Amino acid sequence: MSQTGTGGVVPSGGGGYTAAYSDRPQPANLADILERVLDKGIIIAGDIRVNLLDIELLTVKIRLLVVSVDKAEEMGIDWWRHDPMLTVKERGLAEENDELRRRVEELESGSGSGRSSGQKRSASRSRGSSSGG
Amino acid sequence: MAEQGRYLYAVCRSLDIAALDGLRGLGDRPVEGVESDGLVGLVSAVDLDEYGEDGLRRNLERLDWLETAARGHDAVVQAAALLAPTAPMRLATIFRDDDGVRRRLGEQAARIHTVLDRVEGHEEWSVKVLTHAAESRPEPVGAGGSGADYLRQRKQEQESRDTGLRDAHLVAERVHDALAALAVATRRLAPQDSRLTGLSGTMVHNAAYLVPRLRSDEFATAVGRAATDNLDVHVDARGPWPPYSFAMLDDQ
Repeated sequence: MSQTGTGGVVPSGGGGYTAAYSDRPQPANLADILERVLDKGIIIAGDIRVNLLDIELLTVKIRLLVVSVDKAEEMGIDWWRHDPMLTVKERGLAEENDELRRRVEELESGSGSGRSSGQKRSASRSRGSSSGG
Repeated sequence: MAEQGRYLYAVCRSLDIAALDGLRGLGDRPVEGVESDGLVGLVSAVDLDEYGEDGLRRNLERLDWLETAARGHDAVVQAAALLAPTAPMRLATIFRDDDGVRRRLGEQAARIHTVLDRVEGHEEWSVKVLTHAAESRPEPVGAGGSGADYLRQRKQEQESRDTGLRDAHLVAERVHDALAALAVATRRLAPQDSRLTGLSGTMVHNAAYLVPRLRSDEFATAVGRAATDNLDVHVDARGPWPPYSFAMLDDQ
């Protein structure tokens, strides 16, 4: 299985991402990885169930980081609302959404966890209503 | 010792389990193969106080934990994709024991084989197009300019940004069309924020391309051409990735 050289591909010297396990020239950017491992890939139910609300909240948080909320709304991006994992067979969704909104508001008002650079900007917003369905 | 579960990273086909020797997963635990129905699930042990329901609820809230888990998950998937046709699992697919993994692989075998048929011999490439056109440039207000002059200037700047952004979208569409012609499938993804990507500019295009491995060089050449033909935007291509964006089960 040959590996494709990427040196010539990234024109501005950003460094290619190769699939080599041991000698990556640089780690892939976190947004790319999170986008893939959280939103893509096969979903089969494991024995350990992660609460849907937690996943939804997590996904919203990741969206807050991966795309700024303002920009996402401008561009009509709302993939977390279409995640099949979240939209199927939900009972009591309204209730969960209320809880979710409350928790997003908490997050955005700065009481959630997170790292400094991402936290600053969400602390300055109170846009909890923007994340609801 | 804490109670342990089995974390499933990916499912492969035609994988020589001996090739996993030395591969380490989350928490530096060895990755092992669990076989069923012609499939090999790649698993490693995880502590359930970290990866159980309570642990996950707590830990998924922490970006540093999430980053480590995501990178660890990806590293195993990357390694597997070099060895055999690979269908990545979503993060945090965890079983009580190998029998649970085997049972689930058995139940889903037909659908997983369909996914593997689709991605076998293919790689995923991520291509983004970024522009600086939408950024405001500080322009000096002419000496003695009136308020009206200032407002006119502001309006012109805004119009020029809008035009620049529109042009960049058009360029991105052309780039996408050229690359999509070499791919067997494409998937548009949400633009990403520069805080996580480290890329400057406004991202006007973010998409994944499923490219036959035999066409990888051709695809790379096309990306290079797109970059040199469109110097007013920045084309950022990364790959090859395992086929994450194309490994969904059919009804997902």
